[in-house]
Amino acid sequence: MADIIDARGLSCPEPVVLTKKALHRKDEIVVLVDNETALENVERLAVSMGCTINVNEEADSTYRIEIKRSTRLSSAEPPKSEICGNSSGPMVILFTSNIMGHGDDELGAILMKAYIHTLRELDNKPDIMVFYNKGVMLTTSDSGVADDLKELEGMGIKILICGTCVNYFNIQNKISIGTISNMYTIATTLLTAGRIVKP
Amino acid sequence: MNKEERYSVALFVSVGHVIKAEKILKKAGIPHKVIPVPRSISSDCGVCVRFLTEDKDRVKAALSELVPINEFREL
Repeated sequence: MADIIDARGLSCPEPVVLTKKALHRKDEIVVLVDNETALENVERLAVSMGCTINVNEEADSTYRIEIKRSTRLSSAEPPKSEICGNSSGPMVILFTSNIMGHGDDELGAILMKAYIHTLRELDNKPDIMVFYNKGVMLTTSDSGVADDLKELEGMGIKILICGTCVNYFNIQNKISIGTISNMYTIATTLLTAGRIVKP
Repeated sequence: MNKEERYSVALFVSVGHVIKAEKILKKAGIPHKVIPVPRSISSDCGVCVRFLTEDKDRVKAALSELVPINEFREL
């Protein structure tokens, strides 16, 4: 009998935290969430932990996520990639702000736009671009680089946007690219990166 | 980005002028984008303003007497 984790009414990242904890106890769980963001975040966690998932949308806009793990993870010994530096891991560019460098913000904003535009033309492309704090402003449709980011995403580069930050700046409706992500995914991405570039 | 669209850039003598021009064009609602100066064009200031070639007269009019444009180039 699978444990049922009722994460309805909880906000990010709680459903993900509860799911992760439950998966360390049991190989088969059912998670209930009541919004799409939580659904996506839980799904992503499950996939990254090597689980198979099955989602059913129930009548009262509840999603029932059945998660089954095929390989047993020992909680005493997390996978090496989670704790060790891994030089063959993905190349990550970290955008912690919408400006490049310190000194003058107006100049920094211009430099950041030029930087992102230039990335499209370079041979060495990143695997993942992570945006948090004021960096998330770069992902809005009126940032001046939305078309560049869309093009980069089209080339297969993963764009992760901090959901807490999007919420803080209240720009949910202005984001049309990338994936709204959570601290679990962002922290894991940073830990497993082969290289991190911070412009 | 539609590849059929033709673009031009306005070059300025300084980054300060680019920043000023960007503000004016934004206010005027003329579609534009600040980009690094293409390698094929040399300019002291590393960034320039790109716009649709068909908007050239609007760009010129909006910036006239406010920001000196060094040069227009078609891409």
